[in-house]
Amino acid sequence: MTTSKGLIEAINGPADIRKTSKKCVVNRRTFLLTSGIATATVMVAMHTSEGLAKVPALVATYERKLIGKLSELKVDEPLDFNYPDEGAYSDSMIVKLGKQAGGGIGPDKDVVAFNYICTHQGGPLHGTYKPNDKALGPCPLHLTTFDLTRHGMFISGQAYQSLPQVLLELEGDNIYAVGMFGLIYGRYDNLKG
Amino acid sequence: MGTPYYIPETNIPLPPVNADIITTACDYCIVACGYKVYRWPVKGGAQGGPTADENAFGVDFPVDPLGSWVAPNQYNVVMHNKEPHHVIIIPDKDNTTVNMNGDSSIRGGAIAQKVYNPQTPTRDRLKSPMIRMFGTLMPVSWDFALDIAAEVGKHVIKKHGANAYGVKTFSYGFMENTYAISKFALRHISTANFTFHDTPSDVTSTPGFRDAGFDNFGPSYQDWHDADTLMICGTDPYESKTILFTQWIMPAIQNGQKTIFLGPRRTAGIAYAEANGGLWIDLQPGTDLPVVSAIARVIVENGWEDKEWIKKWVNNKFESSSGFGQGTRNTPWQWRTTWGKFQTKDYDDWKKWLLAQDFSDPQTAADIAQIDVQKIYTAAEWLAKPRADGTRPKSSIMIEKGFYWSNNTGNTNAISSLGITVGAGGRPGQVIGRAGGHQRGGLRGGKYPRNKSPEKLPGRRRRAMDTDRYLMAGHTRMAYVIGNTWIQAMCASQNLASKFEELTVQNEHQIRSFDKQEIIDTLKKRADSGGTVVISQDIYLIDPIGARYSDIIFPASGWGEHDFTRANGERRLRLYSKFYDAPGEAKPDWWIAAQLGKKMGFDGFDWENSNDVLEEASRFSRGSRKDFYMLHVAAKKEGITLHEKFGQYGTDGIQGPVMMMEDGTLEGTVRLHDTTRTLPETGPAAANVFNKKLTHFNTQTGKNNIQKAPWSLFSDYWEWMKPREGELWASSGRINERWQSGYDDRRRPYIVQRWPENWVEIHPEDAKARGIESGDYVMLYSDRIPVQVDTIVGIEGDDFSFTKLMENGHIELTKAAITAVAIVTPALKKGVMYMDFLHTAQPANALTGRVVDWISGNYNYKMGVGMVKKIGVSPYKNDFRSMSFARRDIV
Repeated sequence: MTTSKGLIEAINGPADIRKTSKKCVVNRRTFLLTSGIATATVMVAMHTSEGLAKVPALVATYERKLIGKLSELKVDEPLDFNYPDEGAYSDSMIVKLGKQAGGGIGPDKDVVAFNYICTHQGGPLHGTYKPNDKALGPCPLHLTTFDLTRHGMFISGQAYQSLPQVLLELEGDNIYAVGMFGLIYGRYDNLKG
Repeated sequence: MGTPYYIPETNIPLPPVNADIITTACDYCIVACGYKVYRWPVKGGAQGGPTADENAFGVDFPVDPLGSWVAPNQYNVVMHNKEPHHVIIIPDKDNTTVNMNGDSSIRGGAIAQKVYNPQTPTRDRLKSPMIRMFGTLMPVSWDFALDIAAEVGKHVIKKHGANAYGVKTFSYGFMENTYAISKFALRHISTANFTFHDTPSDVTSTPGFRDAGFDNFGPSYQDWHDADTLMICGTDPYESKTILFTQWIMPAIQNGQKTIFLGPRRTAGIAYAEANGGLWIDLQPGTDLPVVSAIARVIVENGWEDKEWIKKWVNNKFESSSGFGQGTRNTPWQWRTTWGKFQTKDYDDWKKWLLAQDFSDPQTAADIAQIDVQKIYTAAEWLAKPRADGTRPKSSIMIEKGFYWSNNTGNTNAISSLGITVGAGGRPGQVIGRAGGHQRGGLRGGKYPRNKSPEKLPGRRRRAMDTDRYLMAGHTRMAYVIGNTWIQAMCASQNLASKFEELTVQNEHQIRSFDKQEIIDTLKKRADSGGTVVISQDIYLIDPIGARYSDIIFPASGWGEHDFTRANGERRLRLYSKFYDAPGEAKPDWWIAAQLGKKMGFDGFDWENSNDVLEEASRFSRGSRKDFYMLHVAAKKEGITLHEKFGQYGTDGIQGPVMMMEDGTLEGTVRLHDTTRTLPETGPAAANVFNKKLTHFNTQTGKNNIQKAPWSLFSDYWEWMKPREGELWASSGRINERWQSGYDDRRRPYIVQRWPENWVEIHPEDAKARGIESGDYVMLYSDRIPVQVDTIVGIEGDDFSFTKLMENGHIELTKAAITAVAIVTPALKKGVMYMDFLHTAQPANALTGRVVDWISGNYNYKMGVGMVKKIGVSPYKNDFRSMSFARRDIV
C-alpha cells in the first residue's frame, strides 16, 4: 500500500507522469497532507479476510465514532477527522454550513460531514471549502466542485459519483459518525479497503 | 437522514485476473477517450481480489490517485454470447495520446451505465420493429416492418419523385452506418431531401473556414497545448470536450499560455483561465463579428500582423481570382464571390476594407457587444504583439458552436481573417480549427444531388435543400429519421412539431388493419393525400418523432454492440469493439438501411457484417481528412480484416489521413495544412493520396483567401432579434454532465439527480427585476419567433436578406413557450439567459428563429430571445436531493 507516496506523487508529479507530459496539474500548496493517509497497517489487516461478494454495506456495520462536539463548531470552519477507519482516504471533514443541508444535524440541520477525496480520480479536496457557495472544490486535479447542502452532489465537473457523505448522529452535544453514503475513492469497499 | 433520491453504492466487485480486456473509445464527445472494458462471467461467481496478483488491473487496493479505481457507476452486467457477464468500463490507464493516464470526463466516466440492462432505466431500449396499428405502436417482425417501409417508399419515389423521400440522419454514428445510410439515400434514391441531425441543409458548418482554406479539424491536440496565446470562441472545452481542456489546455495555462475566451457565459474552464491570468470577453450573443474585426484592426493598425506569413501564404491579386470565375467550376468560393461581398484582391485590399468599417472601430465594437473596450486591445496584444526581441507569440484560434451558430457566415469569415493575420494555421502551435462537438464518423456512400435542390440563390449556384422548409411546405411524403430527434434539434421547434402533427396523426389515412397490404395501401394514400409517413430508427423511442408521429419504428443497436470505427477531433481513428449482445432484435443502422435497400430493389447491400461495410467504404475515404484506405491495403497484405487492422492500434489509434511508406509501414498525419511537413520524395506512390491539404490550404492555390466579413449581412436580423422591452436573450448550449438530447443521461440516476429537467440560468439583476429566485419554475415565451416560409428563387443580390424576406412577406411570426427551473447566477452576462440546448420536453430551440443564415443555409441556434416570468416554485427549490443551485464557476 503506497498511498501516501502516491498522493504526494500525484501532487508533485511522479517520475513517470512527469516524463510523459507537462500534464501534471496540481500545485503542491493546494494539498495539506494529513496524518491518517499514511497509516496503512489498519487496511492491510482488513483486506485479507472475508470473501468479496458484492453485498450492500449496511450502515450498521460502520463504527460509531465520536468526532466532535456541536458547541465547538463554528459556521464555515471545517474540522478534520478520519472515518470509517484510520486507513487510506479516510480523511473527512465536518462543517456547520450556517444553512440547512441534506442530512444536516443539529437544531439548524446545517452540520454535515464528507470524505475529502475527489470521487473522480482521487484528488485532495483539503482546504478547498468555499463558505459562500457551501461547496468543496474545485479539485486541484480536474476542477470538480461539490455541493455540501445537497448530499455532496457535484456542482460542475467530472466526478463519477457524489462525494461520500458521512452519516451523523447527535447525542446531547456529542456528534457521532455512524456510516457513509457512497464509495470512498481508491477503495473497492468502504469497510475493506 | 432520509433516503436520497440517488443512493450510491459503497462497494464494487473487482475483475479477476483472467477477465477479458477489450479496448474501445468513449461514445460521446469529440475527444473520444480510450477505454478498457473488463468482462467476466457471472456464472461461477469468480471475482478479483484487492492485491495486485488477484485482479485484472494488477494493482493493490486502495489504489493511488489517478489509479484504476472503479466507481459503482463504472460497473454493470450485460449479456455476452447470451450469458450474463460483469463489465467494468474505465478509461484506459495505458493511453498515451488522448486521455493520458486514464483521465476522463463524467460522461465517459460513467459510460458503463449506457449499456442495456433491464434492471436499470435502460430497460426501455427499443427491442423489436413496430408498426402503429389502431393508434398504437405494436411489435412486429423485421420482414413485416421492412416490407411496409419498402413498398411505401418505392411508391412515394415513383409517384412524387425522389425529393419526396426525406432522410434525416445522424452524421457521426460510426463510419459503417453513415456509409450505408448515405449509400441508400444519395447513391440509390438520390434525394436532395437529405440532411444531418444538426442542420436543415447538407451544407458546410463553417463557410468562412471553407473559403479561407481551413479544414475544421486540421490541428492536433498538441497544437492547442503548444500555443503561447489561445483564443477560444464560443465554447469552454472544459464543459463539453473535457479532456481537451484537462489534459492539453489546463497544463498549458499553468505553463503560461495566455487564454482568451469569447462568449456570454462563464464556466469552470473560463474561471480557471481567468484565475490564472486569462481573459474573458463577455460579449452579448451575435456580436462576435465586430469584436473579432476590432481585434484584427488593432493588430493591423499597430503593424503587428505576421508579415512574412502573410506574404507567403495569402493569395495576391492574381491568385485570388485564379482558377474560378470562368465556366462551370461551381465551387462555393466562386458563388459566394458572386455577391462581391467577401472576396478581396489581397491582404492590403482586405486591410483597406477593414479600416474603413465603422463596426471595426474598437469602441464601436465594444458598444455593440457591451464589453470593456480594453479587452479588445489586450486580446490584440496577446495574439500578435511581437516581443521585445522581435519574436512573435505562437497564436492559435479555436471556434465552436457558440461562435459559428451565432452569425454563421460572418463570424467564420471574420475569424479566418484574424487567424491569417496572426499567422495561425499551418505550423505547430499556430493553428486554427474547430474544437468539435460530436465525434467524426461520417463517410459518404453517395453524392448529394445539389442540382435537384429547389434552393436557387442569386448567382449561379444551387444550395442544398432546406429540409425543414420543404417539410413545412408539405412536399416530404416519407421521412426516414435515423438517430436524431429532428424536431427539437431544429429552430422554432414547436411550430415544426405542429406541422408534423398535421401531416401524420391528423391525416385521415391511419392504419386500422392487421393486413400487410391494407397497411401499405393506407400509408400510400396518406402520402398521396399530402400527408407524411414517418420512420424512426433509433435506440430509444424518441418523443415526439417516434412516439407520436412515426408509423414505423426500427430498433437500432450501437456502441459496444458491434465493431465500429470513428475518428476524434484530431482525426484519430479507432476501433470501437463489440463487447456485448444488442438487446432483442435491435440491429445496426447499416443492416437496416441494407435490408430496406434490398427490398426496394437496390444493389450493393449484401454485407455480412460491419467489417464488410467498412472494407467497401474505405476507398471512399481517400483524399478526406479521415483517409484510412491504406489501412485496408495493409490489412489485405497481412491477410486480416480491416477491423482487425484498426484493432492493432488499440486506444491510441492512428491519425488520418494515413499513408503507406515505401517500407510498407503506415504513417498518420499529426496536423493538416502542415507547412513544416516534408512528404516522401517518392510522391503519391501506389494507392497513397497526397492532396493539397496535407501541406497547403484547401483553396484554388493552396494559399489562404483572406475575406471581408460584412456586418451588414447579419446586422438587420440581429437588430430585429435582439431583446426588446422585457425580453432577454435565450441562448443555449451543452452542459458538461449531459450529452446531446440526454438519451443516456436521462437513464442515469446519478445524472438525473443533478439535472432532472430543463433549467435556465438568469443573471441576478434580470431575475430580481422579475421576482425570480433559484428553484422557481419559470415560463419562457415569445410571440415573435420568426419562421421563414416559402421557397423562393433568388434573383436580386439581397432577396434572401432578412429585411427583404420580411418586406416580401416570407417571414411569419409564431408563438412558443417552454418551462424551466431557474438558476440565478452571476456567471452569465446580464441580459442573457442560458439553457441546455436539447431537452426533448422543454426544447430551448423553441425560442430560436427558423431563418437560415442566408449565405450558408445554417441556423443561428444561439440567437433565441424571449420573455421570462415566474409561474411557481419547483420541487427542487427546497429539497436537497435533486439539482444544485450553486454557481458553476467556483474558483
